[in-house]
Amino acid sequence: MPECETPLWPCAMTGAAACLAGFEGISVVIHGSSGCYYYPATLLHAPLHGTFILENEVVFGSGDRLREVIGDLSGRGGRIAVITTCVPSVIGEDIKAMLAGTDVILVDSPGFAGELETGYRAALAALAPETDPERTGVNIDGISLSDPFYEGNIQEVSRLLLRAGIPVGTIFCRDRFEMAGHAAPMTMGTNDDFASGVGTYLGGTLGISALRATFENVSTMYDSADVDPVLTELNIQEERVIHACDKYLRRCDPPGVAVFAGAAYALFAADTLKRYLDAEILVVGTRNDPIAQPVAQYPVEKLTGLEQVSRKIAEVSPDLVIGSSFERSVIGDRAFVGIIPPLRGRVRLAHTPLAGTSGTLHMVEDVLNACMDKMT
Amino acid sequence: MTTHVRDAITVVHGPQGCTHHNFSLLHATSLDNDRIALPPLVSTGLSEIDVIFGGEGALDRTLDVVIARDPGAVFVLSTCIVDTIGDDVGMICGSKAGVPVIVVPTAGFLGGSFQTGVNNALIALAGMAEPAEGNGQVNIIGEKNLEYEVEENFAEVSRLLALLGLSVNLRFVHDLATDRIASLGAARLNVLRDPSLIPVGESLKERFGTPYITMYPVGISGSVDFLESVADTCGIDPHRAVDEERGLRQETLDDFADLAGSEVSFAPLPPDPEGSRAAQDIAHALRLDINPSGRPVPVPVTPPIGITGVRRLLHRWRRALHA
Repeated sequence: MPECETPLWPCAMTGAAACLAGFEGISVVIHGSSGCYYYPATLLHAPLHGTFILENEVVFGSGDRLREVIGDLSGRGGRIAVITTCVPSVIGEDIKAMLAGTDVILVDSPGFAGELETGYRAALAALAPETDPERTGVNIDGISLSDPFYEGNIQEVSRLLLRAGIPVGTIFCRDRFEMAGHAAPMTMGTNDDFASGVGTYLGGTLGISALRATFENVSTMYDSADVDPVLTELNIQEERVIHACDKYLRRCDPPGVAVFAGAAYALFAADTLKRYLDAEILVVGTRNDPIAQPVAQYPVEKLTGLEQVSRKIAEVSPDLVIGSSFERSVIGDRAFVGIIPPLRGRVRLAHTPLAGTSGTLHMVEDVLNACMDKMT
Repeated sequence: MTTHVRDAITVVHGPQGCTHHNFSLLHATSLDNDRIALPPLVSTGLSEIDVIFGGEGALDRTLDVVIARDPGAVFVLSTCIVDTIGDDVGMICGSKAGVPVIVVPTAGFLGGSFQTGVNNALIALAGMAEPAEGNGQVNIIGEKNLEYEVEENFAEVSRLLALLGLSVNLRFVHDLATDRIASLGAARLNVLRDPSLIPVGESLKERFGTPYITMYPVGISGSVDFLESVADTCGIDPHRAVDEERGLRQETLDDFADLAGSEVSFAPLPPDPEGSRAAQDIAHALRLDINPSGRPVPVPVTPPIGITGVRRLLHRWRRALHA
């Protein structure tokens, strides 16, 4: 990994914490320094524990300290999961052997191992989720505590499932721990960057087209489902989106757009704006590895540092930038809509989604308002 | 600290995630303080291979890249993993020329606490200044740049200094250009943000002969104490300034006299004993009744600075009592 100016995406250790801390009934221990603990604790707003190792542990071994923290957490019910950070991973201790004979879940996910999604996947694999053929319902996956829209996504997709008469299965990763081992046989996604791979995948919920295809899949695979209310809702709400965008286009040219986000959200934003606003997608800059497009519709490249992003914005000169408050800090007076963390500098209290019908309405609403605010 | 030197570049020698953690935190607190853009924070981007075979090459390459941009200075911060694998950061930095490349010993948890990092950074930055002819002004040393009220607290200290006819030379280090650091030794007095910076105060005293005051004015009585202390160190008659400040203190107490007799509790008390002492002083001055069954009022982690800080806190107490 070459040098990077102002890296914009969290490390694998944070991703592992985002996965595990989403499960009620797991006590998550960050085995590392206070600095490694502090960042995920502030980002995820979830209870985490730390070993807070010091120089002494590096020299003489961190086993005693780790066992002390695990001992304090034992007997409280539930499971304990330990995430190793950079230093414990390289000082050569056999942490797996230290934990032998216990039911502690160990996730080796040091920061240098990669990005957020790498750690999330490693942690989910360590949980070894399983489907239960007897369980009814559809699982929701793609949920990460690092995503400011995760709570809204859960609420919105749960609403749509219930509207189709389908119980909600396991939510990956925001559920009780025991549910991970008893997931329903089918799964619906909210963000493919954090796909669980559990059960038969019915499709995603980002965008009206994806929703329509997914719920049509549901109707063929889930006998008792009644998806008509959902499909009717999609038609009605899509008409509202078309009407609002059409009204905008009566007075304004479509915006030139630069999108910066995780690959799944970035392509959702690009597709939505292309479809409804005929926007020119100037660049899709992904924080993580890009998803292969069925047809190469947009210029996609992985951009992980703020300097790279700044240069790209200067190069393509968009009317509208979609990204995080990192992007907002370098775009001057261009229109801006935030879809990935961090979203600093504004108060957010409501659980708005990006997935589901409301997610598309929210996205288009924000984009139109941002663009109209820039009209002279 | 180092990202507050505007025209410098800070290099964090470690994996990208460490730099992201820091930048994300700085981004959040800077936006809270209406500081939109931040100076570059460059990661050497250590990978698993670098961790196995050594990260000195990555640091060397990164320094060449950033020096080519001709910044005012380059500050190099090390992380936990770099000290664990034993990279010789000083040797690599010492091999560079053309731009000051300054090693700030941090090394994550191996380098000590957060405060140790702050002090080390300030002492390293002070190394860029030489003794200078006095200009009669005052330096502010070690502002808490992550503090939400950093600007308000600075404004309050500036107001008190102005009552004594003094002005600020340097905010060391807060939103500063590299060339301004040269004037560090010209001040007649250094005001430390809090006593944890005494090692920095001592270092500056030894290097430039500048006396220091150990802390900002805290709580209801801190302002007058601060004025008297500054005046004493600088040989200024404080009487007029002190009278004016006592008037402002009384005016503040009068404005919140409606709270007298209210039952309040402080829970949880901040870990800083200075903070709980300041809260109790304010309550006594307003004749509030402190007891465990009283209505909880907020006590900030860092105590209120000066009378204007006390006023803002009292508005929050009034809100809590009326909620």
